[in-house]
Amino acid sequence: MLSCKKVTELTEKKTFTKLSNKESIQLAMHKSMCGACSLYEKQSEKMDQLLKNDYLDNTKNEKLKEKILKNLNQ
Amino acid sequence: MGKQDFQVDHLREWVNLYTDHLYAWAYSKTNDKELSEDLVQDTFLVAHQSLNKFRGDSNPKTWLSSILKNKIYDHFRKKYNSPQVLSDSEAVLESMFDESGRWKKEERPKPWSDDDDDEIKLLDDKDFIHVMQGCMKELPQNWHTAVQLKYFSEKKGEEICQELDVSPTNFWQIIHRSKLQLRKCLEKHWFNQSN
Repeated sequence: MLSCKKVTELTEKKTFTKLSNKESIQLAMHKSMCGACSLYEKQSEKMDQLLKNDYLDNTKNEKLKEKILKNLNQ
Repeated sequence: MGKQDFQVDHLREWVNLYTDHLYAWAYSKTNDKELSEDLVQDTFLVAHQSLNKFRGDSNPKTWLSSILKNKIYDHFRKKYNSPQVLSDSEAVLESMFDESGRWKKEERPKPWSDDDDDEIKLLDDKDFIHVMQGCMKELPQNWHTAVQLKYFSEKKGEEICQELDVSPTNFWQIIHRSKLQLRKCLEKHWFNQSN
């Protein structure tokens, strides 16, 4: 039986590369018995979405525009 | 008026139209004002030098964004020097798991107060963004860059590692530790705040 620590590692590894059959089975078995690690995976996926998304601020950058335009004129 | 002048006139117009968007995007990825300004300036510089490569029928905003995207990616790539995963990270693991690798009682994942909200709603919340950026900045610098790299590009993790010439294992272990630390920080400052 894998430890929870190892399971959180595999949860991340899975997003990078294909797990071996043995790892996949061990991971599924652990999660079926461990609510904490299942929840961890769900929350980890939510963090992925949060980290991936843009959050665009609508700052106006008039000074920057002036600076760039000045450079273009040179 | 020559063709070149005509194109430069266009470029000036684009500076006025798209600087705000390009800056906002660079800032959302780097969380660094000065750097974002530099990257946007460089973008227009490159655009100026390669105006003849711009095809009249393409969308200037898309074209400029793709130049900026390369700039941001290059920045992260240069900044990242393969950190040793072991030193700092064991502390993170030890704070969460006991010797046999079980969750410590107080660290066991619990439902988050916002579990049912979708991400989009959270990302519209300025306070949440502020908390998340703060938590990112608390990561060791190289971990921070690793996380920025992973979530910046649509590239697969393995591809990023090839380009960086780092071992995939090292890279995903760093992401794993980073996310454990980030999660703890988000819980403390957001998800498990009792109202």
